[in-house]
Amino acid sequence: MKGLISLDVISGIIHTMIGLATPFLYAAIGETFAQSSGVVNLGVDGIMLLSAFAAFYVSLVSGSLALGLLAAAVVGLLMGLLMSLVSVTLKAEQGVSGIGLYMFGLGMSSLLFKVLIGTVKTIDGFKPLPIPFLSDIPVVGKMLFRTNILVYCAFLLVPLAWWVLNKTTLGLKIKAVGQAPAAADSLGISVNGIRYLSVCIGSVLAGIAGASLSISLLNLFQDNLTAGQGFIAVALVYFGGWSPVGVLGGALLFSIVNSFQLWMQVLGAKIPSNIAVMLPYLLTIVALTISVNRARQPAALNKPFERGES
Amino acid sequence: MSANARSDGAARTGRVEMRNIVKCFPGVRANSQVCFDIDPGEVHALLGENGAGKSTLMRQLYGMYQPDEGEILIDGRRLVFRSPADAIRAGIGMIHQHFMLVPTLTVAQNVALGQPSARAPLVDIKGVTERIETLAQEYGLKVDPRAYVWQLSVGEQQRVEILKALYRGAGLIILDEPTAVLTPQEVKDLFETLRRMVAEGHSLIFISHKLYEVMAISDRVTVLRDGKVIGTKLTREVTRDELVKMMVGREVKEVEARPLTPGPVRLRIRGLSAMGDRGTEALKDIDLDIRSGEIVGLAGVSGNGQRELAECLAGMRRPLAGTISAGGRDIGAASLNERVDAGMAYIPEERMRDGAIREFSVQENVFLHDRTKAPFARGIFLNFAKMRSHAAALVRDFSVKTASLDTPIKNLSGGNIQKLIMARELSRKPMVLVAAQPTRGVDIGATDYIHQRLLEQRESGTAILLVSEDLDEIRALSDRIAVMYEGRIIGIVERGEASVEQIGLMMAGVAMSDAMKG
Amino acid sequence: MRLRRAFIAFLLAVGLVGAAVAAPFRIAVVMPSATTDMAFSQSMWSALMIIQKEMGGPSALEIKYTDNMYNVPDAAAAIRDYASQGFDIVIAHGSQYGSSVQEIATDFPQTTFAWGTDVNTFGLPNVYAYTAAAEQGGFVNGVLAAKLTKSRKIGVTGPVEVGDAKTYIDGFVQGVMSVNKGITVSKTWTGSFSDVALMTAAAKTHIANGADVLTGSSQSVVGSIGAAQDNGHVMWFGTQADQASLAPNLVVCSQVYDWTGMLREIIAQHKAGVLGGKTYVLTLENKGLKMAFNPSYRLPGFAKAAAERAIKGIVDGSIKVQP
Repeated sequence: MKGLISLDVISGIIHTMIGLATPFLYAAIGETFAQSSGVVNLGVDGIMLLSAFAAFYVSLVSGSLALGLLAAAVVGLLMGLLMSLVSVTLKAEQGVSGIGLYMFGLGMSSLLFKVLIGTVKTIDGFKPLPIPFLSDIPVVGKMLFRTNILVYCAFLLVPLAWWVLNKTTLGLKIKAVGQAPAAADSLGISVNGIRYLSVCIGSVLAGIAGASLSISLLNLFQDNLTAGQGFIAVALVYFGGWSPVGVLGGALLFSIVNSFQLWMQVLGAKIPSNIAVMLPYLLTIVALTISVNRARQPAALNKPFERGES
Repeated sequence: MSANARSDGAARTGRVEMRNIVKCFPGVRANSQVCFDIDPGEVHALLGENGAGKSTLMRQLYGMYQPDEGEILIDGRRLVFRSPADAIRAGIGMIHQHFMLVPTLTVAQNVALGQPSARAPLVDIKGVTERIETLAQEYGLKVDPRAYVWQLSVGEQQRVEILKALYRGAGLIILDEPTAVLTPQEVKDLFETLRRMVAEGHSLIFISHKLYEVMAISDRVTVLRDGKVIGTKLTREVTRDELVKMMVGREVKEVEARPLTPGPVRLRIRGLSAMGDRGTEALKDIDLDIRSGEIVGLAGVSGNGQRELAECLAGMRRPLAGTISAGGRDIGAASLNERVDAGMAYIPEERMRDGAIREFSVQENVFLHDRTKAPFARGIFLNFAKMRSHAAALVRDFSVKTASLDTPIKNLSGGNIQKLIMARELSRKPMVLVAAQPTRGVDIGATDYIHQRLLEQRESGTAILLVSEDLDEIRALSDRIAVMYEGRIIGIVERGEASVEQIGLMMAGVAMSDAMKG
Repeated sequence: MRLRRAFIAFLLAVGLVGAAVAAPFRIAVVMPSATTDMAFSQSMWSALMIIQKEMGGPSALEIKYTDNMYNVPDAAAAIRDYASQGFDIVIAHGSQYGSSVQEIATDFPQTTFAWGTDVNTFGLPNVYAYTAAAEQGGFVNGVLAAKLTKSRKIGVTGPVEVGDAKTYIDGFVQGVMSVNKGITVSKTWTGSFSDVALMTAAAKTHIANGADVLTGSSQSVVGSIGAAQDNGHVMWFGTQADQASLAPNLVVCSQVYDWTGMLREIIAQHKAGVLGGKTYVLTLENKGLKMAFNPSYRLPGFAKAAAERAIKGIVDGSIKVQP
């Protein structure tokens, strides 16, 4: 345990945490939009996978990371439209259609990877972009302000999402549709329209989450690159009580515990590795049990809307 | 289309006409050639039994359904409402029976929802709040714009609904059974607000099946029965009895309870407490006696413990503390069968959930309790001939309208199902009867019949606890009225001792001594 | 998953229709990760491709595969499918498939089953077991790493402490210690064979802590290599497959599993009527393990000499590496 409290180590833990939290933030904040409108999209992981592949492949072929990012967003949008069509218009069971979307993303990304690329390759992803002045602050600068654009944007997304959900007319509509669709409908709001929009916002963000893995943090693509991160993102939405700030807290908690256990292992702490890797999950379960606030759950979560029922 | 949107206080919608409206649902013709019109500044009541087609008609006017045939005109211009948005633009607002509010949002947010904002894309909470305060002032609709809807009482929620419609500049407001959930005081306040709205030039459509309210508030009244218009009359030219006849299709007289001297105590409750479904204490230290030949009415705003008390008596809810004895026998921990043996009978509030089995036939539903007893069973064998003749006798005696004894009970109307359940419970000649909401959702004809049966039962010496949210029903039948508030019996009054207003005050939590002074 | 399997099978079938004149020898393989994982599954897949070429192409050797079978019940279903389709040899390429093989092999006594990495044939006459003495190449990599590190800090990123992931790393540490006991080797285990993101974070953590040499095992080490690539000044030592192509400037040497020798023998035995009963262990001595020095990495002479001494020592038995 020696040296765990040194400034370098703490700064290292936080730096690692920020990287780990980035895909969770995009995916979970996106899912917050979808769930706030009443749609559980369990296909986040599948969207992340296919978008991660699209971002990687387009960047590899075109040499442009911006085009790669765009490709990820487009793939996210298309899969969001598919999810909306199945679960909003056709009113299919949301859990099942989400899992279907996940399987599709997993299988399709794997197949395309095999056919189009064939073997694991690495690319040069987004480069660190030190922010002038801020990055020169001792310790903190190195810790927070020397990372790449997608990481900064992930954290900027939190206040932006909070603002949209709580301060704008659109946010009000999204929450109304998730809590009381019949009420929203009676005021002339298109329930299905808002749900399409929310699911698509969520899916585009899930797409960017995928891109953040393949062209910003890991800079490679491999089968099942996300290893289930999309599902953890869905859990973080519950954890965060359907609020972007809560989601941020959850993502940081999960990531810092992970980062902490990696540092403990590196520094040779005498803790069995299987206990160490269990820590983040264990802590998440405990925190979830203590913190979850069902009262804030959108009342119409998982329920397709049909006018004139009830 | 939106000639009148948001002009302060002077919102007017022209003459609205619905012509020859036909609306069918699978298997039902909900509206059949209905004509209905409303003049500016008028209160037009729409009266009818449950299922007469009132809500369906109004949902078409509000754009929630589209008519199969017929047309809607405003000032002679034909309009097509594809969604509530179109109706709102045309100056029509609707207060639904089940409130259309988002509980997790504030009053101001609910009011602003879906409306263009002066500060788009932001919600103009400040502007909306100010406007709500102006409107509230003008119409006497006291409510805090900053409060969350889930914190509000039912009456306050209704005021938010009205504010929503006014905020949208509705000149014509449809009120679907607005008094069903209110205490008498709240009804008085609501009527006050409605009168102010009319004075400001609004037109109102008032849907109800409560006659005295219709008589009190409306200028004209249209009666619907089985999806058809029976007639439209000026309210001042029509009597209560005429309206009943139009609604029901025959004469119905009001029941009256003969004075009786009650006998010995049959049901004794002492210190009864129980948990509610939400895990909070729903019943607190209830003491109550009911005598032979006595009806005790249990009044109160829905959710104050009446249901839990009835369920404790029926054996469907386990008490935390206290005793219940029927005819001197302790039944606090008794099973359902033991209660039946002790002479208890129960007419449940949720008749299709707790009182009958949907898919079973009429005859099978008659024998949900007694199938193991003589003369209907010998050992493990059932005597079908005996069962059939008993069921046939009940159906005949209680005039249950059914195609046959083998018809699944789900095909019967609400009133007939209730009559059958009553027939079943009363045929055992119970010593104690708990009747929870026995006439809810039942048409006037059946209600009248059920009331007469309850009174007959009283005269034959049964002790009856009548739980009802219909204060008229309670007052008409009960020898004594116990008022519940937040899980306690806040007061018990004798027949004729307290006015509607005084009972209403107690229902709102005012102590009996204070309420009786007023 | 099933759909994808069917689709790939369909593609293969189309390719094979024209060639299937004389009945070819048939091998099927079930693998836990992708054929392109730059690690364990790829090592077997490359070997099968070489054997196919040697035997004269798909007309002589038909190969079918199912990959990404990290879910064992799915894998068991695939193994049984292949056996019932009459394949001559079914390879269950994953130590987690052992109990499935044991159960299925008794139902198909005419089929040869090969599984690894493990040494247990369950006493069945139609089961081969195979494994790699990964600690040997680990030792050689360890010697090289100890010679090259300047910060005297070395990071190891592994998945789970089992099988050849563990023996490789144990050998690696022994190799480092044989050169200089003052070097710190710190190990991280991610708990997953496939979590690339966590593997990357682990590697970055080692680098942040001052490590200038990294190694590790499992298909998720591509993340570690990516992290090394990002940094640009960290050396990488590979295992299972030749990982030089992932980072030509940083990969010093990879221990390569070469299953071709074993496969040749199993095929020959099968044709001769012997269906199993033997355990193969890849070693440096039997050339099943090979040290692939990356030609684009300029390895100093003294280091290469030390590595070659270590290989020689292991082959002639003068150096004993504990698995």
